[in-house]
Amino acid sequence: MIKYILKRLLQLIPLLLVISFIVFFLIHLAPYDAIDAIVTPNMSAETVELMKQRYGLDQPFLVQYVKWLTEIFKGNMGFSLLNQQSISAELATRIPNTMKLVIPAYITALILAMVLGLLAAANKNKWLDKIIDGLCSIGIATPTFWFAMILIYFLGYKLNLLPIIGMYTIGQDASFGDFFKHFFMPYLVLTVAFFPDLTRYIRTSALSQLNEDYVTVQQAFGATKKEIFMKHISRNVLIPVVTQIGQALPMLVTGAIITESIFGWPGVGPYMMTATKALDYPVIMAIMLLSATLVIVGNLLSDVLYRLVDPRIRQTGGGN
Amino acid sequence: MKKKFLGLSAATVLGLLVLTACGNNDEKDTSKATNDKDTFTYAISGDPTSLNPINVSDRWGLTATNMVYSPLARIEEDGTLKYELADSMETTDGGKSVTVHLKENVKWSDGEKFNADDVVFTYENKVLKENGNADSLWVGDQPIETEKVDDYTVKFNFPEVSAAAANNIATETYIMPEHLYEGQEEIDFSGSELADGNVVGTGPYSLKEYKRGEYMQFEANEHYYGGKPSVKNITLRIISNADTTKVALQKGEVDASMVLPSDIEDLEKNDLATYAYSENRVGYMGLNLNSDKLKDQKVRQAIFFALNKDDMNKAAYLSEEFYNTPNTILPPNNPFATTDVETYAQDVEKAKQLLSEAGVTDLKINLAYGSDNPEQTLQATLIQQQLQAVGINVELAGGDAAAIFTELRNPGSTKYDMFLGGYIMGNDPDLYSALYKSGAGANYFNYASEKADKLFEQGAVELDESKRKEIYAELQATINNDAVVYPIVDNKKILAASKNIQGIEDARLVPIYSFEDLSKISIK
Repeated sequence: MIKYILKRLLQLIPLLLVISFIVFFLIHLAPYDAIDAIVTPNMSAETVELMKQRYGLDQPFLVQYVKWLTEIFKGNMGFSLLNQQSISAELATRIPNTMKLVIPAYITALILAMVLGLLAAANKNKWLDKIIDGLCSIGIATPTFWFAMILIYFLGYKLNLLPIIGMYTIGQDASFGDFFKHFFMPYLVLTVAFFPDLTRYIRTSALSQLNEDYVTVQQAFGATKKEIFMKHISRNVLIPVVTQIGQALPMLVTGAIITESIFGWPGVGPYMMTATKALDYPVIMAIMLLSATLVIVGNLLSDVLYRLVDPRIRQTGGGN
Repeated sequence: MKKKFLGLSAATVLGLLVLTACGNNDEKDTSKATNDKDTFTYAISGDPTSLNPINVSDRWGLTATNMVYSPLARIEEDGTLKYELADSMETTDGGKSVTVHLKENVKWSDGEKFNADDVVFTYENKVLKENGNADSLWVGDQPIETEKVDDYTVKFNFPEVSAAAANNIATETYIMPEHLYEGQEEIDFSGSELADGNVVGTGPYSLKEYKRGEYMQFEANEHYYGGKPSVKNITLRIISNADTTKVALQKGEVDASMVLPSDIEDLEKNDLATYAYSENRVGYMGLNLNSDKLKDQKVRQAIFFALNKDDMNKAAYLSEEFYNTPNTILPPNNPFATTDVETYAQDVEKAKQLLSEAGVTDLKINLAYGSDNPEQTLQATLIQQQLQAVGINVELAGGDAAAIFTELRNPGSTKYDMFLGGYIMGNDPDLYSALYKSGAGANYFNYASEKADKLFEQGAVELDESKRKEIYAELQATINNDAVVYPIVDNKKILAASKNIQGIEDARLVPIYSFEDLSKISIK
C-alpha cells in the first residue's frame, strides 16, 4: 500500500510540471499584457517601461516561467501585480474562510444525498423516486446566483432575519451566533448546489448494487428489501462515495466562487473574481495551479481511499 | 440510522422555518445596527489597489487616501483652487515657479505640527519615477524641483514655463508626515502600502483597521484642521456584487453606495435619497484613423452627421438628470469647454450627401465595445441602427474592454474601425494631450494633426487665462472638424444614501473619490 502511494506520488511530479507550464502558457496567450492593468493613460512610456522592469514583465517567456516556478518551489506564489500583496499570505487567510463554508455544505449535501439516493433507488420508478428525481432536476437547473438572490431578498430583506454580507458583523466581537447568522444563507445555497449530482450518483450506484449476486443471495434467504438496503447496499454504496470525496477536494478552494462573491464572504471567490477582472495574472495563475494540483491530489486520494475501503482491491492491488 | 438521517435532512431543508421561529432576536440586532449614530457605512466595490499616498491612483485607493491625508489645494469643477494645507499660492518668476504659503495651525493626527519639511519630503519622493506616479511632476524631460523657503513657505521650480504645472502640483498629491521617516536612510515608496501602516495624516479620519476583502474602518481625527468630524467612525465595506449592494442599501446594512440610474426607482421606495453629480467623464465613439475606410474626412463627418446622441443617452441613462451632453473633447463642465464648434447635430441628408461626395457606397465598418458594459452595448446597437439609415453597415465587435484597448494601442492596428470608450482626465486641458497629441500614449485614434499639436504646445505655456481659452477653443474646433472622436455623454455618478445621513451637500460630491470632506456629514 505504501509502495503504491509512493509510486503514485512520484508520477505526480511530471504531471504537475506539465500543468504549471500549461497554466503559465495559457495566461501568456491571453490577448493582453499584464502591464495593462497597472498603467494609466497619463503615464509616460518611460514609466511604463520602469513598471515592466519592476515586475519582470520585460523578460522572455521562458525566463519568466522558470523564475515563477522556482519561487513556487520556495513556497512563494508571487505578488499581486495590482497591490503587491503576497499571494501566499492572502490565500492563507482566505482558503480557511472558504473551507468554513464549503465543508459543512458538502457534508450536509452528502448526508442528504445518501438518504435521498437510497430512498430513490429503493423505490425505483415509484412516485418517491420521481419526486426525488424532480428535486434534483430543479436543483441542477437552478443557477446558484439566482437562488442566492432569492434567499437574500426574502430572508435578508423582506423578513429581515439575516445579515446578507460578510462573515461577521463589523465592530462586534466574533461570536458563533453572529457567524452562524452570516453563514446560513451561503451555506444553504451551496448545499442546494452540491446535493443533486451526489444524489443521482448514489441512486445509480445503489441500483447497480441491486443486480449484484449478494443481493440475490439475500433475497433468496428471504431478507426484506428494507434489510437489504440498510444493511448491505448502503455499505457498498459508500465505496463509490468515498471516491467522490477525493474528487471534491478542489472545491475547498474554488467551490464557492460565485456564492462567496454574492454574499461578500471573504474567501477565495471574491479574490479570484477581482483578480480576473483586473488581469492580475500572478493571482489567477496561483489559484489555477492550486486547483489543478488539488484535482490531481484528489484523484490520488480517491484511489487510495478506494483501496482502503474495498478489501477486494486491497488484496489484489497490494500484490502489485 | 435511517431515522436519524431523515431527521437531520429535514432540519436542513426546513431550516428556513427554524430560523423564522428564532427570528425575533435577530431583528433586534439588525435594527440596532441600522440606528448606529456613530458609524457611517459606505459600500465600495473592491479593495483599494494602493493606499500609498505617493502612488495611489485608483478610485477606492483615492477614496481612502482622501480621508486620511490632505493635498495642498483642490481644483473645483469650475477650475478655481480651494486651499487645504496651503494658505495661498502664487505664480512667480514669470510662470517658472509657484510659491505656496502653508497654513500654520495644522497638526498631524499624532499631534505633531505640520510644516514645509513635510511638503518638500512628499514632493521629493513623488517626483521619483520608480515610485510610479511622477509624470505630472515632470515638465518635458525634467522634474519639478521643490525648495523650502521657510517653515511655512515652499517654492516649486519648473524647468520651463508651464501653465498646467500649478494644477498638477495640487492635483491628488497628498502630503505625508516627514517626522515618521526621520533618520531612515532609504525609504521605499514604490509599494502599495506604507511600511508602518497609514495611521498619521492631516485628513478628517485615520485608518484604524483594514481587513482585506472585507472592510476598512476609520475613526475621527481630533486634530483635523477643518473642524472635528461629527461622525465618529466611517466604515468602507467591500461588496463586489452590485445586486447585493442594492439589497444591503435597502435594508440598511450599508448607509450609502454608488448606484445605477435603473436602480433609483426601487431605492426611492425605501426612503433613500439619491444625489447625481458629474465626474467630468467623456464617453465617446472613437474612429481609428489607421483604417483605410476612414481616411477620408468626409466619410468621418458623414458618420457623425448620421448619429443622434440624444437618443443614445435617453435610452442608456433614462433621464437628463443623470447625464450631460458633451460637444467636444472636453467635458461640458470644464471651464475651457466651448460650444462654438461643429457639433454634428443629426442631419441624415447631409450625411448621405457627404458620402456621395466622397464616392463611397456600401461602406462596411466594425465597432468595438465592452460587451459586459450595458450602456456601451446599448450605444453600439443604436449606432448600428442609425448608420444603417444612411447606408453604412456596422458590424458589432463586442469584447473585453482591456483587450480592445490593448489591440488599439498596437502600432498600425486596423482590427477595429470604430470603438467606444471613455476618459476622466481632470481639469487642465493640457492633460488631454495624452489622448490627442501625435504619438501620445493614449492616442487610440491614431490622430496626427500638426495644427492640433501646435495648439497643445501653445496652450501648455500660455499663462494668460483668456488667451489660453482661445487657444483651447480653436483646438477643440480643429479636432471636431477633423472628426476623429464623437463625444456621446458625460454620465453622472449617482450616490444613494439613507435619509438619516445629513450634510452630503456640504461634504461635496466630487469625481473619483466621491466625498470631498467626510467630516461634514452627520447622522440624524
